[in-house]
Amino acid sequence: MPELIITKDIDAPGLDTIEGYRQHGGYEALGKALKEYQPDDLVEMVKKSGLRGRGGAGFPTGMKWSFLAKNDKLRYLCCNADESEPGTFKDRMIMEKNPHQLVEGVIITSYACRVSTAFIYVRGELALAGRQVERAIQEAYAAGYIGKNILGSGFSLDVVMHRGAGAYICGEESALMESLEGRRGYPRLKPPFPAAIGLYGGPTVINNCETLSTIPAIVKNGADWYATFGTEKSKGTRIFCVSGHVKKPGNYEAPLGTPIRTLIYDEQYGGGILDDKELKAIIPGGSSTPILGADKVDTPLDFEAIAAAGSMLGSGGIIVMHEDTCIIDAVLRMTEFYRDESCGKCTPCREGTYWLTEILHRIEHGHGKQKDVDLLLDICDNISGKSFCPLGDAATSSIISSVKLFRDEYEAHVREGRCPFKHRAEPDYPEAGVQSLQAGAR
Amino acid sequence: MISEQAKQRMRDLASRYPVARSAVMPALYIAQQEEGYITHDALQAVAEAIGLTVDDVESIATFYTMYYQQPPGKKVIKVCTSISCYLRNCDALVQHLEKRLGISRGETTADGNYTLMTAECLASCGTAPVLQINDEFVEHVTLEMADALVDEWDRELKGLGTQSIAPDTQRVSSTRAQ
Amino acid sequence: MPEENKDELVHLTIDDIPVAVPPGTLVWAAARQIGIEIPIYCYHPKMPPLGACRMCFVEIEKMPKPPQTACTTPVSEGMIVHTKTEKVQKARRGTLEFLLINHPLDCPICDKGGECDLQDFTLRHGPGGTRFDLYKRHYPKPVPVSDRVMLDRERCILCQRCTRFSSEISMDNGLVMISRGYKMEVGTAPDHAFDSIFSGNTVEMCPVGALTASAYRFKARPWELKRTPSVCNNCSVGCNARIDVRVDKIMRLMSRTNDAIDDGWLCDRGRWGFEFVNSPQRLRTPLIRQNGRLQPATWDEAIYMLASRLRIIADKHGPEAIGGIGSTRTTNEEAYLFQKLLRGVIGTPHIDHHHGSFPGPRDALTGRPWMMTNSIADIEKAAHIVLIASDPYERQPILNLRIKKAIKAGAHIYIVNEGATELDRFAASKITIPQHGAGMAAKMLLKHVLSGTIDNPRQYEDIRASLEQDNDAISAAGQTFGLEATTQLQHLAETIATSKGAILLYDEMATLAPGCSDLAADVQALAVITGNINRPGSGVGPLVEDANSLGARDMGVLPDALPGYRPAPEKGMAYNEMLSSQGIHALYVMGANPLRHVSGLPPNLELLVVQDIVLTETAQQADIILPAVTFAEKDGSMTNIDHHVQKIVHALRPLPGAKADWEILTMLANQLGQKWNYSSPQEVLLEIAATNPFYAGLTWEDLGAQGVRTQGLEVARA
Ligand SMILES: Cc1cc2nc3c(=O)[nH]c(=O)nc-3n(C[C@H](O)[C@H](O)[C@H](O)COP(=O)(O)O)c2cc1C
Ligand code: SF4
Ligand code: FES
Repeated sequence: MPELIITKDIDAPGLDTIEGYRQHGGYEALGKALKEYQPDDLVEMVKKSGLRGRGGAGFPTGMKWSFLAKNDKLRYLCCNADESEPGTFKDRMIMEKNPHQLVEGVIITSYACRVSTAFIYVRGELALAGRQVERAIQEAYAAGYIGKNILGSGFSLDVVMHRGAGAYICGEESALMESLEGRRGYPRLKPPFPAAIGLYGGPTVINNCETLSTIPAIVKNGADWYATFGTEKSKGTRIFCVSGHVKKPGNYEAPLGTPIRTLIYDEQYGGGILDDKELKAIIPGGSSTPILGADKVDTPLDFEAIAAAGSMLGSGGIIVMHEDTCIIDAVLRMTEFYRDESCGKCTPCREGTYWLTEILHRIEHGHGKQKDVDLLLDICDNISGKSFCPLGDAATSSIISSVKLFRDEYEAHVREGRCPFKHRAEPDYPEAGVQSLQAGAR
Repeated sequence: MISEQAKQRMRDLASRYPVARSAVMPALYIAQQEEGYITHDALQAVAEAIGLTVDDVESIATFYTMYYQQPPGKKVIKVCTSISCYLRNCDALVQHLEKRLGISRGETTADGNYTLMTAECLASCGTAPVLQINDEFVEHVTLEMADALVDEWDRELKGLGTQSIAPDTQRVSSTRAQ
Repeated sequence: MPEENKDELVHLTIDDIPVAVPPGTLVWAAARQIGIEIPIYCYHPKMPPLGACRMCFVEIEKMPKPPQTACTTPVSEGMIVHTKTEKVQKARRGTLEFLLINHPLDCPICDKGGECDLQDFTLRHGPGGTRFDLYKRHYPKPVPVSDRVMLDRERCILCQRCTRFSSEISMDNGLVMISRGYKMEVGTAPDHAFDSIFSGNTVEMCPVGALTASAYRFKARPWELKRTPSVCNNCSVGCNARIDVRVDKIMRLMSRTNDAIDDGWLCDRGRWGFEFVNSPQRLRTPLIRQNGRLQPATWDEAIYMLASRLRIIADKHGPEAIGGIGSTRTTNEEAYLFQKLLRGVIGTPHIDHHHGSFPGPRDALTGRPWMMTNSIADIEKAAHIVLIASDPYERQPILNLRIKKAIKAGAHIYIVNEGATELDRFAASKITIPQHGAGMAAKMLLKHVLSGTIDNPRQYEDIRASLEQDNDAISAAGQTFGLEATTQLQHLAETIATSKGAILLYDEMATLAPGCSDLAADVQALAVITGNINRPGSGVGPLVEDANSLGARDMGVLPDALPGYRPAPEKGMAYNEMLSSQGIHALYVMGANPLRHVSGLPPNLELLVVQDIVLTETAQQADIILPAVTFAEKDGSMTNIDHHVQKIVHALRPLPGAKADWEILTMLANQLGQKWNYSSPQEVLLEIAATNPFYAGLTWEDLGAQGVRTQGLEVARA
């Protein structure tokens, strides 16, 4: 069992309180950072550690910090805890069980980036996580870790927990800022990038919850220590969220570069496929990343190898599907998500995801036409690279990859006029419920 | 009617952020807590507290799915139906609850007790299938569990009639991690 | 966009055509400059780029992820742009196909048909057909968002132009986006109307037929319309407009962008307030009162009768027994001929029109005639804007948008007013004063400024002296104004005195309120003393009322000034004096309605002649009525609030039986023995240009499509 970093003491009782966290060495890193380091030293340290963002894009964290525009405007830090990527559930666990680790990471990062106000944007649906983070913040204020002149260092900081209210797009960094500023969560034009003009027009750092929770360990044990984990280009460990058709789904921290197979089959991880069935497909980084075939099961989970295999490491959400899975139905389910979560700002994503779901729906329910498969691909081509933000592209990745891998399955649906996996004909469901309460009487 | 204290809380929030507008989402939550959903009074109160037009507030309230546009039941059940829960057969759970409550997804029972909704991935894929009852998680839900839960809620509802939308139970999730 | 500067132009090629544009120019604009059309929906040149509709695709060499959106990409040196590659065309077809999947394609019954960007771009850039063979989204159609604007959500392509106008330009956030994703729609809060005086602009900006005007729906097809470039006649701003006419009826007014004046917008009053032109109440024949009742007469009869009655009265009581009341809505040429007739032909000095109270034709301090010293565009450059007893939203609406533009650019606005105004919510400070308090407020400001804060107070001894006389009143006002207002005024005075550029504006008519007769002079003094005049971003002056209020002054329709503000040899009676004078036996009223402002007519009046388009209160009392035509039926020039002289051009044939005021005046002059042989207003303008320093050398052609601002001419010549 490899050494753990982020989830080391995660199941220790009372860890979610400040005393509990202190008993496990909590806030030592903060003291060390404030006493022994100048802000810029910390930026260098994180650069050296090789830490890359855990939110999806995998951008080198230290480098992102060093891009902050140098001007007299107030700087801000946004912690992206809007975790909504289907198949991802690590940030919620961190917030519910070890909120102080996140808060400590936020404080150190704010010091390193000379930030005076930090916001933790917690997904609205995660009510408990929100309360846990809020309480941790209050405890940290009381303990003098947040507020004026922290630990006598002269560094002052305010931290605010801001609750989302149900919008996946607000996980996109610029939409998150719009939302924080009290607007509809539309992504912003880039450039300018947040590091130049971000929240309230100030230079802004945005990092994922897990990314920030990793900072204390790096500060405590040093960049070189952290860099000993993982691979050449993908350093450290990260939390892989294993879900779907495995015996023991859950969050498993492992070094980058661990093969997919290990996480699915190893006893200390997924423990094998449910009912020992055949592996059919894997989504390695959350529903926004392309589907991989079973043949890719030995691919190491690092940014480069997964890219080479034709997908992305994304948010670390590994979704496992076994032989009984109807790929079309699964893809339909994922596409419905993007249709419902499209912000509606740009035409291709708003109209395209709607059209795609309609077609997938009719294929799955046996009313598909021969031309539909190619039509799907062409609609995807008119969305990806044309939409305003990456959500549009994300909506197409499961379709494009599944047609590539399982075209015959699509054609079987059309040919047989039914879903080969469903023994009895299933009823069509009405619109997703959240939406219909949403839509109101208008 | 939005209480004076609620309006005061909204105003305080407005002054807590660098820009008053930032308080609009928390303010909408406060209004929803009082009214149960986003009523005309709710829009009005938020608009006044933050200094926006009611149309502006409506525009924001309808972008985010957690602000209800219609009165929900006393117990709002949200079953996750995204991919990972789908693979763990959440659809059967939804159908089961539909039968048990005698409503389809998106509807509220005639007695105003239950609203059944489906939700996007609730970040609980490791413990699928999962549901939320008034925003609190119940994980690894089996059909038997679902019945037991409804029985429990029925008893509770008989006991205390109307009660607020978000009870403050502190249940830490059982999300496994090694 | 930064102003042109030859050596710092950016060079690029678009479809192999080289083009040079200022830095910051968007690829879309650069392409347009060389006549290459890049289709757009969400983008609007008057609003920041949005990049939402994904229609404006182009391919730019050496840029990641082709294609790029031309509306969001600024040019850069050496850029190579292609607008017609296969990639580009496929992407545009894709977007259009997406926009059409839920569009009802009800073009035959759509008001926009024929001038619809969705139709036009589909024709030029779109797919031949759609591959969408499923059910389209449906909404009840159309729904009113206000009693002026209807919304058809099926036709809407969600480009957000209208909602962004509402948030970015009119800043009233009345029209918004509701819901999100494929359920997104334009709307308002439930049961809440979109009531903005600027709402018509959203209809005009809508690239499809989603927003339509109740006033125009189903009235005409675009290709049936005769379009005439002219100027709105509703208020003193003089927004450039296009008058669209179908069979001798005005169907609508559309904006005709003039950046110096309207910045591309029209207010609803101007856009839809043309019913008086089409009105069945219009006068169609001269009327003469015979034994108490108004009887139709021919023009010859009426003019003959009028001439002889004027002669009789002049013989009996002398020409000073005749007074003339001119108009703030007739053209410069007509105002000029009106005073020429009364002064030169009839020989009376008594001539005036309804206007604010100003001490003499010119301000004693600067020698300038009374008019706003800054241009409308200057407002954007101001650091501080002070609105005293004025409410542009209600009276000069499009100025309100210019002020909001200034606010976005960082200007602070101060509002001194007895009541609430639409701009209050943007005000750095709203100073609420007692009723009729404006005059005193100005004196208090002046006093603060004069008490020490200024370096060289010597120079203003006389002002200080005259202010001394009001000292008791001013200190007394401290009580009635209350502590808050007085301290606010004190701060305001300091702000003005130290401002990098302040513009001080008051409503012309506010000077008529009790205790406000010095308002104009005091505010002018305030600006002069604080150096807020003749500097960029500074200025002072009255917000005048009507389309040609300023023209009437320029043309000498004043008791104490000849055209060009030359002092009148003999000062005549002013408006109110005339209307109550024992000595006035005949009153000639052209395009005015005194009985709306005063209770009665001169006691010894023997002859009342009214020249107007409908039977006004005053006309009902008249002995002779001469039917005139509206701005839409004649040519001429008008002078707007910041002294732009602009062309109005007839869009309709004159109403049968009615005549243009200049024609009527000419007929009468000749009946009275003159040899006026003006065949057109253009000729009258030449005569004005020859004698009036503010119009020196101006010809009809000079006015061009956008008019000329000639305020400086007098100074230039002096
Ligand atoms: C549609 C969309 C949704 C996203 N959702 C999330 C999210 O839920 N959580 C997150 O941390 N990052 C999310 N991201 C990535 C963020 O935009 C951003 O890259 C990330 O938060 C940066 O933090 P990191 O560098 O620490 O990864 C999303 C991106 C897109 C395009
Ligand atoms: S791709 Fe377009 S519609 Fe989709 S989320 Fe991004 S901006 Fe919104
Ligand atoms: S015009 Fe460029 S994206 Fe809409």
